[in-house]
Amino acid sequence: MKLREVKLVAGKELRETLRDRRTLAVMVLFPLVIYPLVSLVTAQVLAARVARIEAHVARVAVSGPPALTGELRRRLTSADVVVVASAAESNRAVLAANRVDAVAEVKPGAAGKPPEVRLLYDETREESATARDRVEQALAVPVGGANCRPAFSVATAGVAARTQVSGYMLSKILPLVVVVMVMLGAFHPAIDITAGERERSTLETTLSAPIDRTSLMAGKVLAVATLASLTGVLNLASMSLTVLEGTHLIAGGAKTPIPWLRAAAAFAVIPPTAFLFASVMVAIGALARSFKEAQTLLTPVYFLCMAPALTAGLGDFQLGGVTAWIPGVGVTLLARDLILGHASLGVTLAVLVSTALYGAAALALAARLYDSERLFFTDEAGLGLGAWLRHVASGHASAPADGTDDQPATTAGHALALYAIACILLFFVFVPLQTWRLGPGLMLSEWVGLGGLTWIYARGRGQKLAEVIRIGAPSPTAFAGAVLIGLSAWLVVGLVAEWILPAPKEVVEGLRRAVAPTDGGRGTLVTLFLMALTPAICEEALFRGPILRGLRTRLSPAGAAILTGLLFGIYHLDPWRLLPTAILGVALSGIALASDSIVPAMVAHFVNNACLILLARLHADDTDALATSTKLLLGTLGAVVLSVGIHLMRRADKKRGGM
Amino acid sequence: MGDPAVVVDSLVKRFAAKTAVADLSFSVAAGEIYGLLGPNGAGKTTTLRVLAGILTPTAGRALVAGIDVASDPLEVRRRLGFLTNTTGLYARLTGRELLDYFARLHGLGPAAAEARIAVLVRALDLAPFFGRRCEGLSTGERQRLSIARAMLHDPSVMVLDEPTAGLDVLASRFLRSFVRAERDRGKAVVFSTHYLAEAELLCDRIGLLHHGRLLAEGTPAALRAMAGDAPSLEEAFLRLVAAVDAPGATETAP
Repeated sequence: MKLREVKLVAGKELRETLRDRRTLAVMVLFPLVIYPLVSLVTAQVLAARVARIEAHVARVAVSGPPALTGELRRRLTSADVVVVASAAESNRAVLAANRVDAVAEVKPGAAGKPPEVRLLYDETREESATARDRVEQALAVPVGGANCRPAFSVATAGVAARTQVSGYMLSKILPLVVVVMVMLGAFHPAIDITAGERERSTLETTLSAPIDRTSLMAGKVLAVATLASLTGVLNLASMSLTVLEGTHLIAGGAKTPIPWLRAAAAFAVIPPTAFLFASVMVAIGALARSFKEAQTLLTPVYFLCMAPALTAGLGDFQLGGVTAWIPGVGVTLLARDLILGHASLGVTLAVLVSTALYGAAALALAARLYDSERLFFTDEAGLGLGAWLRHVASGHASAPADGTDDQPATTAGHALALYAIACILLFFVFVPLQTWRLGPGLMLSEWVGLGGLTWIYARGRGQKLAEVIRIGAPSPTAFAGAVLIGLSAWLVVGLVAEWILPAPKEVVEGLRRAVAPTDGGRGTLVTLFLMALTPAICEEALFRGPILRGLRTRLSPAGAAILTGLLFGIYHLDPWRLLPTAILGVALSGIALASDSIVPAMVAHFVNNACLILLARLHADDTDALATSTKLLLGTLGAVVLSVGIHLMRRADKKRGGM
Repeated sequence: MGDPAVVVDSLVKRFAAKTAVADLSFSVAAGEIYGLLGPNGAGKTTTLRVLAGILTPTAGRALVAGIDVASDPLEVRRRLGFLTNTTGLYARLTGRELLDYFARLHGLGPAAAEARIAVLVRALDLAPFFGRRCEGLSTGERQRLSIARAMLHDPSVMVLDEPTAGLDVLASRFLRSFVRAERDRGKAVVFSTHYLAEAELLCDRIGLLHHGRLLAEGTPAALRAMAGDAPSLEEAFLRLVAAVDAPGATETAP
């Protein structure tokens, strides 16, 4: 082996690899954007779950001789435990009916021993386990100091049936494993039947057969879904047996009953899940020109598809309403509820139907993407994805790329690169800074971070910042429209979001504390500057500046506004605020495009945030305290104002000559 | 002679900024072998893909058995047998499985498929390797199986894209004999190649393509005469191309 030759080969290989933009995208996007994004969202879900459990006041019933229960009550009563009156029913019955979280049965101890407490709890409820811990801690404090004996001797006993316990354990593990394994089962077959077909040079043969594209893709999706289902079934069976064996070992050889019927019911989620992910992966695979490219495209998609299932698996979401209709979340929660025996027929149908509908939509997309024009464009002319997407959108066979168009100052590639950099800064710089000190952290993140990023981008492009972000004097109509939208959007969007996906109380309380600290350490004006004016300028400069303008070069006005809004929502790293923030982002993008200036978007953003801050500081933001009729009235009023604002923006757009 | 089996009329095919085929017109009668000749990138494969209904014309039109490829590509594919320039066989299927699959796609019932496959197995001598997976076949065996795949539904029009590429002398001769036999059965054959000598041996008429345009068209003898009695078709092609590419020539590449 000669070192010179090794270096020569390594140099050539590195040059080739690094010139492959897709490889670079995976190298950068994965570790720096997708992993932190998924992990931060997961951490937030877990934190909310822990906060909810900690905030729950444990309800404990006490029974036994009055002489002993008095002392027990005295020791137990605290901020996080409330002793409830003993019911006439049996202790186990009140526990099973979820009327208490734990029951402390006390009786006198043997001679010379402390009284004995038998602590009953339900192993299948987290609140019950938390109550058990709190009672144990409270009773563990010795009488008369650390060296003295404990006042009570405590023994715990779970009351849930063994089948329930094993079902509960299965419900914690199986849903996520099954959904993720179904995805994994779809991954390679999807690549093989799309990009693999091109690599094996059988594509032309397939396309020359007398079969329409939808039938062709449906057949391919069915094959992938079958393999993915098989993977899911095998994993479900294998995991059930593993859990059975594990619990058998833990129980010291005692037989652990498994709720086989309920575990088998979880099979119901496998076919629609497999269909959904097979369709999505076949659609993405259809974009790829080679096996390698398909892997590059599908790997991030795989992780992004996994995120909803992970969130649902780790969180304590209830299945029903909107959660049933969220792809990935619904099936994971349904599998859990089927195993626990909680799933109702209506919700089950909603999940299965919605998942099948999403799968059908992805299949339709796959059929459109598996377009011979695109597949042979790249062979014939090396046509890029962008030009082909225009072709798909327009329905024309050829893209009008005559090379005479002026190169846009900001491209979609720049927009996505800027967003990726902003996300990286957010994960590794902004979040730690704001955790350290909220005020200074926000100032640095927004003005130096986002503002600086936009400024550096403009300088790097050799343009003025005002040109890149389009600072222009808005028309009075656009200005008035922006103010009205800012005044009303938060109300309408907030009520809609509360109806669709209400944030946990702890999350709302956390936000309230950030906006209106209880220690009074930050005045209203400072808060308005920090949390309304600063983001209105810095976030708008980046998102409604180069990101929106760059995406607009490849997408329709509506497409660019929606994607920018979605990116804006994701950037805020809060699953409960994703929907309202994304909708606000879409509205602000629409304002910027309609007025062809960033100023109205900044105005609307400022007014929106200012309204929320003022309400929080006036303690008038608790919607729970409002009657439904009041909410409806406010929502209607907000919708009217919002409609007027949108109307004014459209007039401004028409006067300007349209988007 | 009745209506032409294939009509290409002012066909244009663009891929973004690149024009692959520019204003191409020709027709092929039933019982005729028409050769599309030209160097790599001349637009032969693109033209054949348009005829097979895989690509849509940017402008102009193409008819196969009287059916417009743009308006009813599925029906065109039912009437036409397309042999791609790669053998394009599903490597993990056996020859029998492959032909059975395509027979079903063409709507043949089990009995009809069985009978038609038996005819092709005999005609193309597929029996020695018919039960083997395609991945284990030689180039010649793969090509014979590909022809069987393209001929399963007994189409009236055959479109063959460089069918002899990579074949040895014996396999090439076998293929030429087969194509002639099909021509004699009344099929229209559109045949692309860049082997000019082979085209001279096989084709009734030839269209010379250069930069997506039809440079000249006629019988092999007529083309040689057109190029000043060139000694071979290859020499005729070179002379005609040189005349077009010469500085000041009116015909320019797109």
